[in-house]
Amino acid sequence: MFERIREMLVKEFIQVLRDPRLRFVVFLMPVVQLVVFGYAVSTDVRDVATAVYDLDNSVTSRELVARFVGSGYFHVAEHVVTEDRARELLDRSEVRVVLRMNKGFGDDLLRGRTATLQLLLDGTDSNTAGIALDYAAKITQQFSRDVLLERFRRLRGAAREPGWVELESRAWFNENLESRNFFVPGIIAMLVMLATLLLTSMSVVREKEIGTMEQIMVTPITPGEFILGKTVPFATIAFIDVILITVVGVFWFGVPIRGSLLLLFGATAVYLMTTLGVGLWISTISRTQQQAMMSTFFFYFPAILLSGFIFPVANMPRVVQWLTWLNPLRHFLVIVRGIFLKGVGPDILWPQLLILAVMGVCMLSLAAARFRKTLA
Amino acid sequence: MSSSSIRRTCALARKEFLHILRDARSLGMAIAIPMLMLLLFGYALTLDVDNVPMVVWDQSDTQLSRDFISRFHGSRYFSVRGYARTYREVEREIDSGFALVALVVPRDFASRVEAGRPAQVQMIVDGSDSNTATIAMGYADVVSLTFSQDVAIRWMQSVGGPSFAPPLEVRPRVWFNADMESRNYIVPGLTAVIMMVISALLTSLTVAREWERGTMEQLISTPVKGYELVLGKLAPYFAVGMFDMLLAVLMGKFLFHVPLRGDAVLLFAIAAVFLAGILSMGMLVSILMKSQLLASQIAMVLTFLPSFLLSGFVYPISNMAKPVQWISYAVPARYFVALMRAIYLKGTGLELLAGEIALLVVFGAIMLALANARFKKKLT
Amino acid sequence: MAETSDDKAVVVRDLVRRFGSFVAVNRVSFEVRRGEIFGFLGPNGAGKSTTIRMLCGILRPSEGAGSVAGFDIRTQTEQIKSRIGYMSQRFSLYEDLTVEENINFYSGIYRIAPDRKRERKEWVLRMAGLADHRNSRTSVLSGGWKQRLALGCAILHEPSIIFLDEPTSGVDPMSRRRFWNLIYELAGRGVTVFVTTHYMDEAEYCDRIGLMYRGKLIATGTPEDLKHRFMREEVLEVGCERFQDALGEIEKLPGVREVAVFGRGLHVVAEDGETVAAEIRTLLAEKGFCSAHVEKIVPTLEDVFVSLIEAQDREESAEAEVRR
Repeated sequence: MFERIREMLVKEFIQVLRDPRLRFVVFLMPVVQLVVFGYAVSTDVRDVATAVYDLDNSVTSRELVARFVGSGYFHVAEHVVTEDRARELLDRSEVRVVLRMNKGFGDDLLRGRTATLQLLLDGTDSNTAGIALDYAAKITQQFSRDVLLERFRRLRGAAREPGWVELESRAWFNENLESRNFFVPGIIAMLVMLATLLLTSMSVVREKEIGTMEQIMVTPITPGEFILGKTVPFATIAFIDVILITVVGVFWFGVPIRGSLLLLFGATAVYLMTTLGVGLWISTISRTQQQAMMSTFFFYFPAILLSGFIFPVANMPRVVQWLTWLNPLRHFLVIVRGIFLKGVGPDILWPQLLILAVMGVCMLSLAAARFRKTLA
Repeated sequence: MSSSSIRRTCALARKEFLHILRDARSLGMAIAIPMLMLLLFGYALTLDVDNVPMVVWDQSDTQLSRDFISRFHGSRYFSVRGYARTYREVEREIDSGFALVALVVPRDFASRVEAGRPAQVQMIVDGSDSNTATIAMGYADVVSLTFSQDVAIRWMQSVGGPSFAPPLEVRPRVWFNADMESRNYIVPGLTAVIMMVISALLTSLTVAREWERGTMEQLISTPVKGYELVLGKLAPYFAVGMFDMLLAVLMGKFLFHVPLRGDAVLLFAIAAVFLAGILSMGMLVSILMKSQLLASQIAMVLTFLPSFLLSGFVYPISNMAKPVQWISYAVPARYFVALMRAIYLKGTGLELLAGEIALLVVFGAIMLALANARFKKKLT
Repeated sequence: MAETSDDKAVVVRDLVRRFGSFVAVNRVSFEVRRGEIFGFLGPNGAGKSTTIRMLCGILRPSEGAGSVAGFDIRTQTEQIKSRIGYMSQRFSLYEDLTVEENINFYSGIYRIAPDRKRERKEWVLRMAGLADHRNSRTSVLSGGWKQRLALGCAILHEPSIIFLDEPTSGVDPMSRRRFWNLIYELAGRGVTVFVTTHYMDEAEYCDRIGLMYRGKLIATGTPEDLKHRFMREEVLEVGCERFQDALGEIEKLPGVREVAVFGRGLHVVAEDGETVAAEIRTLLAEKGFCSAHVEKIVPTLEDVFVSLIEAQDREESAEAEVRR
């Protein structure tokens, strides 16, 4: 039996490794994708392009603008003098924010009246707009309080001052809040899933389509051995990919890896059980490679979206959150982020590991059972 | 194109249509996947954060500190899940993900504030999800600043001053997407992504499949011309893609109420140009690879990746590193997403968009030309 | 260039095709006359399919020249393609389409005039015996039906030359017979048929055959020619009980080139038929093999082919020796 399995493994490995194009796709492309992801994805909001429409042009108004600039979150692209120009800049997306102060702004503040700052935001990217708005609120609140105290001091002299709250925020695990550190570990999960799903499902169906499947089945090989022969090579490739991506992620992008590498590989092995199981199952319900591909994507796209890879699970409606429990990618993401960023171990991650293990075993058995049935 | 050329192309297109129709499962998925994604994006997926789980360690335990904490608790942005008594507890809650944020109020909170000095409140944030963390920190800043301002006003009143209103009023107005629904931002871009990926994936298989099955060998021994084959195969997938687009627009309008401010005809015309280019790209991959397994993987990387990441669909291009921004200029989806958004949200007309439309036309033409050029009626 | 009124449908001169360092077709030259049924015989990997593909214009020759229907196979492939019919070795019809849809497709591909389309379609359906199955998916058809349908689709446009690459492989004998009847019918109408096969009995049906082995064309001629002129040795048919055991004994006789089981007896190849026949009779009698009969027969094509191949092998190893 071991010879047969070994023969199948050898054949599969040869098929994958001999074709230079397949080698490229399977090893190089994940790295390329990682690099692109690493540089492209960023939800960091810094240096928001701003236009200043200051009709007042007083010391006070300029000071407020200076505070915006000084915060580091905004940079002034242009000082506009007409409303039309401000509109144009927003329309063309050359700026995202317009600060507008009417004539009399500084005057109002000096005389103890309320002055108005108009903030025009480009809402198309609502996430960035929201964050920009928060930054602006922080700056204006601070400014407002300073003005208030100044007024008070002038009225009452340099007496005592009211206390205030200084909020000091510290981010754990990802001190500089680099979105890259959030995404790169997730990419491992995503790419590994895609590779194993697609390769497994399509390569098995390919044999059906070309007709070599019949040939193999006529030999004494058992379905179980066939399955092993098909899944082990792709699992191996997946492991190599994990190593590659981890190396590039850590040494090129500087993503920290605080947890145990051993745990990472162990978790990957369990995760692979689920993805290979799904891939295999898809192959049993598909007659052609095209069907295998479409079915894979039918599973894969929602799996990515509902995993917390980009969009946090906590933001989803309750019902959908329950659904995500069925998604192996979701659990693996928790594990991977935990290992890379938080440095936690199995004592914290055991629920996810357990779920993945159970899913993996179920999925593989289901797929194997179906496989036997469709061949027999 | 001569009449027999047209007839041959039609014969090829009809055959391809039959193939598509006969594989009901794939066709169903070609329509179901976009719909599913639209539903997900419309209802389930958002970067907007609220109810951030928070754990509080109130070392002060005074009226003032409770007042302060209630500002967080009462807001829709935070949701206090528990109270900790030790640092270890805080650590554990954050490590396990039970809480994303921990608020640590120092023992001398009330005394310092009353004495006119700053009270240092510490907030620990789980930074792994940087976006949520940033937003949460932003909220917290605003809450504590508002609190400080209120403390100041109350104090001034208590010392017998006049009642002061906050001197600076901010009036924000959001253009183009007044409710800042991330949905309005995402749906127009999403249509682009969906169309791209599905159509390109399907076309990436079609030529390779015939090579693998052996029917291509038969075809190249006939007088069929290369461009007839390419066009004949493209036509049905073009129809599927436009149908997907129509579905997406209808769903956007009737299900999600995303306003379409611009010209619908222009929208579809641009979609048609984009689709033609993308399909040709898929065909090119199929022609070059001759293997379905390879073609699908490569098509996936060439379409899914760029359209998701580099088109500005989810991640604003302006946030990316400069070199990547340059690369995104070469990604057709970038222009398509921008055009979609402009037409949906800004109602922009043809004049302003001509440049980008021209680029899409150029892309389509190049891809089509390449596909034709690389298709050889010869073996190996 | 107009079609020549020449008698030659296919002309090939020193055709070579290499795949890397492997020479699949090695300086092959031959001619096929109009209306001939030309059979290309040889074991798998001999280069038959490669040659046919070059003739159809779907594979570029590495060296050499040729013409089909008067058009150059290197520079005028598109003209060739509109005048020939090709049936590739792998089944080339679309499994998920019905019989009728496949026919409609191919008639759209060739320049069949609209008024002729219907007629041709019905003709093909009748010829293939599929008139009642026109709406069945081709995937459910058995081998024989499929082959006839594939042939039909290849001749919808009434080409003057057709190339058939192993058209009957994997098909039952009845269907094979039927298929060849069709070919005769076509040839009778003046269509040139170029067919490759590895079935020796089919070779007998051809007007002329070419034997290919390891990329070289080692013989051409009518079946009669090959049987009578190419074989230097003679063939004896030996029948007796326990002939498998007799084989071992006969092998040891000097002058016996080759012994092989053939049907329920043995074929013995020897230089001098008379002498060896006598020797065998004696031997068999001595060893007690009863009811023995030894007869000189006309060699079958298989015998011819095996002998030619072996001669080729001997020649090549001798050359290799000389080089060393």
